[in-house]
Amino acid sequence: MKKKQLLSLILLFIVIPLILIVGVTLFNDGKYTIISIIVVLIACIPFFLSFERRKPNAREILVIAVMSAISVAGRAAFAWLPGFKPVTAFAAITGFKLGPEAGFLTGAVSAITSNILFGQGPWTPFQMFTWGILGYAAGLLGKTFLMNYKATLIVYGIIAGVLFSLIMDIWTVMSYDGSFNWTRYFAAAGTALPFTFMYALSNVVFLLLMYKPIGDKLERIKVKYGIMQHH
Amino acid sequence: MATAFHYSTVSMLVRTLVGDEMKSFYDYHPFVIFLYFFAVIGLTMFYMQPVLLIISFSASIILALFIDQTAFFKTAKWLVPFMFIAALINPLMTHDGELIILYVNHRPITVEAIVFGFAMSIMLLAVIFWFTSFNKLMSSDKFLYLFGKISPAVALLISVTMRLIPRFIHQITVIAHAQKTIGMDATSGSLWQRLRSLMRIISILISWALENAIETADSMKARGYGLKNRTTFHLFKFDRYDGIVTACISVLFLMQVMMSYLNWTHFDYYPTFTAIELNTPTILVVISYTILVCIPIIIEIQEALKWRSLKSTT
Repeated sequence: MKKKQLLSLILLFIVIPLILIVGVTLFNDGKYTIISIIVVLIACIPFFLSFERRKPNAREILVIAVMSAISVAGRAAFAWLPGFKPVTAFAAITGFKLGPEAGFLTGAVSAITSNILFGQGPWTPFQMFTWGILGYAAGLLGKTFLMNYKATLIVYGIIAGVLFSLIMDIWTVMSYDGSFNWTRYFAAAGTALPFTFMYALSNVVFLLLMYKPIGDKLERIKVKYGIMQHH
Repeated sequence: MATAFHYSTVSMLVRTLVGDEMKSFYDYHPFVIFLYFFAVIGLTMFYMQPVLLIISFSASIILALFIDQTAFFKTAKWLVPFMFIAALINPLMTHDGELIILYVNHRPITVEAIVFGFAMSIMLLAVIFWFTSFNKLMSSDKFLYLFGKISPAVALLISVTMRLIPRFIHQITVIAHAQKTIGMDATSGSLWQRLRSLMRIISILISWALENAIETADSMKARGYGLKNRTTFHLFKFDRYDGIVTACISVLFLMQVMMSYLNWTHFDYYPTFTAIELNTPTILVVISYTILVCIPIIIEIQEALKWRSLKSTT
């Protein structure tokens, strides 16, 4: 398990910066849109790869699919309220209870599946990565004692909402300028403020409402059927 | 989905009438469709040369109109004004450029920034329009077939998720009806009561879903999930036509990559516009790019013509 994590870390912190540097020097007029999409897709590979490699059993697949399906259905149910998405909360709860890998997969699969239903676009890789990594972070936090308090859940929800907004805005800024520009970035982050607020609010609301009922049920399934025990 | 269905039924009917001669772009192998959109969307994002932008933009609109007019107009309706505003904001943010029109707050408004704003908006619109066609042509079964080739476990995860969504929606109405009979109606009472009933329904759904998931998983295992030499069912066949179109797309795409490497497609907006000369490299780039982006349009027109001649004779 440790070795695989090392591989992921190498990919994340060495290969991706390398691609960024090569990409930027190769296209010196700054084709950041295309580079950023490639980087985000590569960032997802180690997670999918390690899942693929360890030949997951059917029970694990089904439990992650259930969490993803509920978050996609929730996203569809709240589609009329812009920015109000339960996906982060569900990925995070899965991460807290079943570990980083399950958290990542729930987030990423929710992004792909909901975009199969709502329409794919250049935003798909970014949503995949952002929701995935938020679920992954939740998985790491879930191993500590921190997540047993309402206050930390609220803090996590707010930070996750802000991060989601910041990463999606980077995409907006890059797609517009073809390069990265701090003035425009702050302007975009500023205009996205109502969305940032909605992301954070929906995260906090869903986490507070769902953490206990869903968390307990995942815990029960985990103990009863012995899935995801290696985390 | 409805259009896609109609589309394939018609072409299937035609095929039974005239043999394997015809094939609309929808019926090409998923790999061909993916390769085409990969090349075209990638190049569209990469090229800022105005002529190439216009080519991609026009072709994306024509293909979208061929495939699904209503979907196209629905997207265009809110996107075009939005992109227009985005284009107009650019000169207020960027003050680079040599051709100054006027000063606002002592900061120059330049022609270059205005043109760049419009070029960028056209590029983004083209990408979104390409994606509307992609979403229609790459139906979920094709997507999962392709994804399954790269990552079978994740593809399985996605397809199980997609199957569970309608199942949950069905189950949630079943639970809601049962809850209503014991006085926990989610559609009446005060807001707090409704919210409590709703939470109860979701909680019940999740208990059921997780328990049911384990059952499904055991059933999958009993039917041989994860055993060696298992095949998956699909209807995709890579035939002669797929081969020809794949070759065309690959050759044209590689040509574009090489010509970009030679700097034939380079165009600067700042400090001022690069001149576009009418020479052999430019003509070569434009013609090969036009052919590449128009491949599905050519296929569709051919198909439409054959279909028409067929209708008039029988």
